Amino acid sequence: LSSVPLQILLYVNGIYYSFYFLATLAMIIYKSQVFSYPDDFLAPDLALLFVMAILEVLRLYLGSKGNLTEEEAPLGLSLVITVGSVILSVYFLVWQTYVLKADVILNAVLLVTYGLESALKVVAVAAFV
Amino acid sequence: VAKLCVCDLLVAQCDVNCCCDPDCSAADFSLFTTCSVPIVTGDSRLCSQKAAIYSLDVEANPPERIFKLIDQVNPSVFCIHATNYKQALSFSPAEMPTSENFDQLLKRFGSATFSAEPDSWNMNTDAQNPSDANDTYRYEYGVPIQTVDAFLRLPSPVVSSWCSDANPAGFLVNQATKCTRSVSVEECGTIQALSMLFYVNSSILAVPRSSQMVNIQVQSIVVQSLNGMRTLLNGSDVVRLPMILDELCINIVLGVSYHITYTDAGEIIEAAAAFVLGAINKEALSIQQSFEISFTQVNTTPVPLSGNPGYVVGLPIRAGFWPQGYPFPVEILFAALVLNTNRYSQLTILQSTSNQDCLAAQGARTPVLFGYNMVSGCKLRITAAMKCQPLTQILLDLLKGQSFPEYVASFGNSQAQDVLDWVPITHLRTSEQSDNDRIYNTFQSSCQIPVALEIEVKWTKYGSLVNPQAKIVNVTATITTTTLKQLPSGRERTIPITSSVVFTDISSPAEPGYKAWPTINVKLPFDFFFPFV
Repeated sequence: LSSVPLQILLYVNGIYYSFYFLATLAMIIYKSQVFSYPDDFLAPDLALLFVMAILEVLRLYLGSKGNLTEEEAPLGLSLVITVGSVILSVYFLVWQTYVLKADVILNAVLLVTYGLESALKVVAVAAFV
Repeated sequence: VAKLCVCDLLVAQCDVNCCCDPDCSAADFSLFTTCSVPIVTGDSRLCSQKAAIYSLDVEANPPERIFKLIDQVNPSVFCIHATNYKQALSFSPAEMPTSENFDQLLKRFGSATFSAEPDSWNMNTDAQNPSDANDTYRYEYGVPIQTVDAFLRLPSPVVSSWCSDANPAGFLVNQATKCTRSVSVEECGTIQALSMLFYVNSSILAVPRSSQMVNIQVQSIVVQSLNGMRTLLNGSDVVRLPMILDELCINIVLGVSYHITYTDAGEIIEAAAAFVLGAINKEALSIQQSFEISFTQVNTTPVPLSGNPGYVVGLPIRAGFWPQGYPFPVEILFAALVLNTNRYSQLTILQSTSNQDCLAAQGARTPVLFGYNMVSGCKLRITAAMKCQPLTQILLDLLKGQSFPEYVASFGNSQAQDVLDWVPITHLRTSEQSDNDRIYNTFQSSCQIPVALEIEVKWTKYGSLVNPQAKIVNVTATITTTTLKQLPSGRERTIPITSSVVFTDISSPAEPGYKAWPTINVKLPFDFFFPFV
């Protein structure tokens, strides 16, 4: 049977991630106006944010599909992509050019969500195999 | 942060009311009233930072300073938690120029403006230049005259009186400069600026950035000997180079005078240079060179203007008279006014001299300059032996001068051919007599001698409000005469003779000119009322 908590968490993750993406983009724009943010530092930050968005969409789609069709392959792939997302989230938490307190809060919540999701996915994969 | 103190200005002395000053002792602190710097923090945008707080405890006796080092927390959610960009929160120190990075630093910071992001921004400016390559160029006022190498140079003194060869000559800018150059007989042939070739070698470009060249021709050469005597050489269109002759270095350039002829399209068509060559001996260490450049438009003769078109304050009034034999107004189209070639002698008044004797004045006259009211005079000593008629004539000559003009130009650039641009001088005569004298004089034939000449020039402002031009409207010359009473023989009298020039502004106040109201032009078609018309 599909895991209901995982599905709920994936759904909530989707909503939260849209909010996260818009908030981080707005804060990067704010930082570029208020602080001295040269182009060499601004470009990687923006690029990584968009890469993270693409990865997130892919990850949520694969996770949801794997859970609902009770197949391990998409769930496994989603788990692998989660690793990439975690690295990117850690980048925005620690290695960004300017890390504001709001950034810390947003990324911490995102990392907690990823952790929970990964645990539930492992359980689901174990159940489907 | 504990060591920073903004108010510690005096070294090794205690600053008043500066609680963070390390030079102050507890006794000094007890005398303070407040702390001028209560808190010293780092960048307040950081989430948590160290702060040093200074305060005075006035309750204690004696008052003492309290120093606390705390962590200040920024409550905002947008405070900076961390940065990975080192220069984010401090001013960056400038790069020290070394021999390796000097060229790069010069390219980046060497122009009038530079931006903080050097790399990508400069590429746009180069793209704009090729777009105006197809326009026709011409010289404009002030633009440096270009030659094949660089610019036409007019050496001039910069800061000190030594010659600098980097002064370009501007188009239509008449200049005359004098500067000093250090010379020696041994370096006779090597100093380039002393030889004629330096000044005529490079040809001038007829228009900027073209390939049409105008050669500088040698117009005349004047040779100045060591004692200052100048002779003009005949057949002088050959370039003479400096050479050593009998321990003197001859043919060195002491002065150059350029004459450039241009068209009204901004092209240079001719260039000529007149040289003054001289010689130096072994003791000479420096010479003075003088340079001049003047511009003439092709097919015109240069006439110095007193304004263009309105008179300029301080320039002489242009005046002239009808040549004899041209009755006015029959041949108005063909006649032209005759002007004195010296612009300062066209309209003149008597000039006061230090010995105020009129008869010894010897004809010293001063030109009438536009806008300058002048009064001058002298004293005339009359003896019994003087007769009326010759005295009148002498005084008239004294007041009016030898050739008092009949017409005055209304604009500063009025041409002599345009007679309508010239204003005739009106002559008036008044007599200065009191009422008592008039009663007596009706019974005697009396002698009237002129004692004062007053020239009143009425001018108005002409043209636009933002740039009004002065135009002379009316000139009146009033001669005041007085009665010369017969003196008993042996006595003499001194009477003052005065002449004055007054400029009166009779311009009417400016009226605003409005555009006409737009009219509604409505016409019905002619068959509008068809059935009835």
